[in-house]
Amino acid sequence: MKIDVVKNVLDANDRIAEENKALFEKSGTWVINLMSSPGAGKTTLVEKTIEALKDKYSIAVIEGDIEDTCDAERVARHGVPVVQINTGGACHIDGNMVREALPNFDLQGIDLLIVENVGNLVCPAEFRIGENIKAMILSTPEGADKPAKYPLMFQESAVMIINKTDLIPYVDFDMEQAKRSALGCNRDLVIFEVSCKTSEGLTGWFQWLEDQIESYKKQDP
Amino acid sequence: MHELSLARSIMDIIEEYDLRHHFKKVNSLKLSFGKLSSVEPSALEFAFEVLSKGTKAEGASLEFEVLPVILYCTVCGENVSAEHYQATCPLCEGGEVCLAGGTEELKLLELDVD
Ligand SMILES: Nc1nc2c(ncn2[C@@H]2O[C@H](COP(=O)(O)OP(=O)(O)O)[C@@H](O)[C@H]2O)c(=O)[nH]1
Ligand SMILES: [Mg+2]
Ligand SMILES: [Zn+2]
Ligand SMILES: [Zn+2]
Repeated sequence: MKIDVVKNVLDANDRIAEENKALFEKSGTWVINLMSSPGAGKTTLVEKTIEALKDKYSIAVIEGDIEDTCDAERVARHGVPVVQINTGGACHIDGNMVREALPNFDLQGIDLLIVENVGNLVCPAEFRIGENIKAMILSTPEGADKPAKYPLMFQESAVMIINKTDLIPYVDFDMEQAKRSALGCNRDLVIFEVSCKTSEGLTGWFQWLEDQIESYKKQDP
Repeated sequence: MHELSLARSIMDIIEEYDLRHHFKKVNSLKLSFGKLSSVEPSALEFAFEVLSKGTKAEGASLEFEVLPVILYCTVCGENVSAEHYQATCPLCEGGEVCLAGGTEELKLLELDVD
């Protein structure tokens, strides 16, 4: 006998993500799922973003990057609540890991929650966690061919931050090719070119983030 | 990489359907995914074999329908199937394409049971 199923295998994860999302909506917390290869600059961008926005918004961080065990300490130094997820060597963060981290926060008081995912361009894009947007970082030393190799990541992300532009004179990075290739995966992709080292281009990112948080607050009942 | 958790989800779906249909055993499963998604069929088969041991799904075979990479070219207006994603149209070399297929996530389509 054949039984028609037609169900996403990650359906159970999606349901948990929806529950997380409902909690975030209730508390008015805007959530960003930050993804990239190891070393592209996730933690550095998180630190810069906290410094730029912490006077205006209350920020919290979930740290899931296993590459570097001191990521949580780096973030905590900026005086925001941070919870390190024990991913147990997993290659991505899933909805349940985020759900289990949430009791550590007082969500009511948090405007912006940044989730630093595991350094990996492959599967983090497939696991929803209840985020408002996915943002990904591509750093110039990685090369412009990454969208062609990992299109799903670029298709799923609302934002691409091209980081380490200060290194462009030393690495072969074809900016136009990278953008064209990423936009082919996702015509609506918002792109920022930044250097977390020199801070060049970061204000555009901060402003965009602020606009998102503000318009989210306005929707809030 | 995370095929064990995918296999676990598949086992959960099978159990859910077993509660409804009370089958004796699962003969085969039909699954689909896009060529550009991160599913690794052989790793998934192995994980499924491990997790299904001693259950009604032990020994069931997995059939995969792999959905092709489709590029839509805004210059010549064609949908082209391709081996990989590329930002240049393989037909007219136009530089503005949209990825229109190939990233579909893993779905369980059908169970064949006794
Ligand atoms: N030259 C340069 N280095 C950067 C930049 N952003 C981050 N880095 C460095 O890249 C390394 C990895 O950064 P990190 O934030 O830990 O990456 P993560 O693994 O994605 O969290 C660190 O040594 C950073 O100081 C940048 O814009 N330019
Ligand atoms: Mg990090
Ligand atoms: Zn994974
Ligand atoms: Zn064309």
